Amino acid sequence: MRFLAVEKIDALLEALARSSSLWVPTVTEDSAGTVIFEAWEPGTAPVLDRFTTLSAKELLLPASEKIFSFAYNLSEGEESIEIEPSSREGGTTIFGTRACDAKAITVLDALFLQAPGEAYGDEQYRSRRLDLTVLTIACTTCDAACFCSSFENGPAEKAGSDVFLYPVEGGWLAEAITDRGRELTGGEPFADSGLEPPGLAVTRTVDIAGLQEKLLEIFSNIDFWQEATVKCLSCGYCTYTCPTCYCFNIFDEMRSDREGERLRGWDACMFSLYTRETSGHNPRPTIAHRYRNRINHKFSYYPANQGETLCTGCGRCIRGCPVGLDIRDVLAGVKEL
Amino acid sequence: MTDLAAAIDRILESADFVLGWGRDEETGVAEPARFHSTEESVSAVLDSTCVHNLAVHLPRLKDRTVGIVAKSCDVRSVAQLIVEGEVDRGRVKVIGVTCAAGMLDVKAIWRRFGYGARIDDPGDILTVGGQQFDRSEYLMGKCRDCAGAEPVIHDELVEMPGPAPDPARGVPGESKHAPAGGATTLQQKFEAMPAVERRAFWREQFSRCIRCYACREACPMCFCRDVCTMQTTEPHWAGGETNARESEMVQHVRVNHLAGRCTGCGECERACPVGIPLMLLLSEQNRIIEEMFDYRAGTDLKAKPPLLTFDIKNDSWGGG
Repeated sequence: MRFLAVEKIDALLEALARSSSLWVPTVTEDSAGTVIFEAWEPGTAPVLDRFTTLSAKELLLPASEKIFSFAYNLSEGEESIEIEPSSREGGTTIFGTRACDAKAITVLDALFLQAPGEAYGDEQYRSRRLDLTVLTIACTTCDAACFCSSFENGPAEKAGSDVFLYPVEGGWLAEAITDRGRELTGGEPFADSGLEPPGLAVTRTVDIAGLQEKLLEIFSNIDFWQEATVKCLSCGYCTYTCPTCYCFNIFDEMRSDREGERLRGWDACMFSLYTRETSGHNPRPTIAHRYRNRINHKFSYYPANQGETLCTGCGRCIRGCPVGLDIRDVLAGVKEL
Repeated sequence: MTDLAAAIDRILESADFVLGWGRDEETGVAEPARFHSTEESVSAVLDSTCVHNLAVHLPRLKDRTVGIVAKSCDVRSVAQLIVEGEVDRGRVKVIGVTCAAGMLDVKAIWRRFGYGARIDDPGDILTVGGQQFDRSEYLMGKCRDCAGAEPVIHDELVEMPGPAPDPARGVPGESKHAPAGGATTLQQKFEAMPAVERRAFWREQFSRCIRCYACREACPMCFCRDVCTMQTTEPHWAGGETNARESEMVQHVRVNHLAGRCTGCGECERACPVGIPLMLLLSEQNRIIEEMFDYRAGTDLKAKPPLLTFDIKNDSWGGG
């Protein structure tokens, strides 16, 4: 493997920032210790010893983004409408994500990276994704919310990463996963090393085998979902911090009487408005209905339709839930039914 | 049997269930729970990790008669909901908790030591993951200048077990200022800022907002919830974009809507995933409301909320 010495990290970050827009985990002042990805600037020391509060998904699926702008013109009785698609420049590099968040990117790929013209192929996602480099920090420790070991490869999951960096004495051992990764780690500031990578964390687990069918079997058991969600507040915390939740809304914002933008922005199935129909009818009228959809989408519908579980065990929905709702308890409850 | 379990059992004689706290075995802290029977009430928990304000559930339970275990500060929310006609006093049975030593900021502790780090809080010295601290270091902001006033309303009264009152925060029941978002270091720093710096401060803060509306959903007084005009397309009062400008606007509308209604419970700030110090806005507004109207939300069932009251005869704002 290759080795990156701790004192060489600035050289690496500078190099990465020259060829792309570079994002690293940082902690902001007066934010109660919130760690989020921010654009790297010279002198910024990435926060690598703590789990990030938000995932890096907004670099692929921004919280809101312009799809196109439009303008209506009326000149000498002639009407015309101008449409200008949004444009994007340059690639993106994420430094310091974790295996669960890198894997989450490939889970989203199953949907958004479908070939152009296929049902869900998405141009904006594709253009960002094909120009994305991910350098992942391997987890040698975890906390009580982590549960990635429930999934096939656990903390050793390499999918979605270009480079896997193992923390070792004095720096990181670098394992190149992709051609892009080999290119990055082939020369300076990386050096050869005969060190062995450290053992990785072992998280708590939840048994997800058979959930895909079981969730459909118990679909009508709304009493179970009511019991499971008595303390849920129906906020968007879990969905918005989740690295795999991708639901969005499309809406127009007018900039003047005749000009505006069509935007796409995050939406959450835990919001009542998400499913309220024009008639006023809401097919998911209660928190229980909404939470059932959230779980079913992750562990039944998405695996059935896209072949991937829409969860990577990052634990953010547990770590930050204002009422301490633990998805693992709910899944265990489903298995017991 | 503990005093709490006995109180819950008595309330259960006339209520469908009681909102309280149980123990999360994995992490050892309290988590919201419902108690329906004597078999269940024995597992009710009361300690310095009972941070949640359970009054948030009351507006969704209007068709039930429910009991609620509520700290003095939480009881203010119950009282304000009654004052505003959102909750029927006859259908809510309050097990008031006098809370002398204050709640721990569990979220801050776990942000620093990792989620689930074991918390032991027997007295003055707080132990987290084997390390010892002065517990005042990790006290909830709102608890810092609260000396633990007696609950405004209660059908049962129990005492929060655990750490003794801190004399520095006054005598229980004689709080100089009931919970309204305590003076923290951040508050002092903020108050020293000139207006220009405050603007920059909030722009920076709201640049982290992801518009998850956890602040709204965790707020007992934000009961519009599903019809919140900050999320509807008709009327389209707030833009749908996620950026500092829109997020700040959304929050100011929420804060203004809470003028004379906020009881300072701090749940919005606790629920915020990205650590925006929302109580700076709300406690300042609460201070202004008190100065202008001599009114503190949720402290008097008979007081008229100044901003929800029309006095056609004496008010001179209209007419002509």
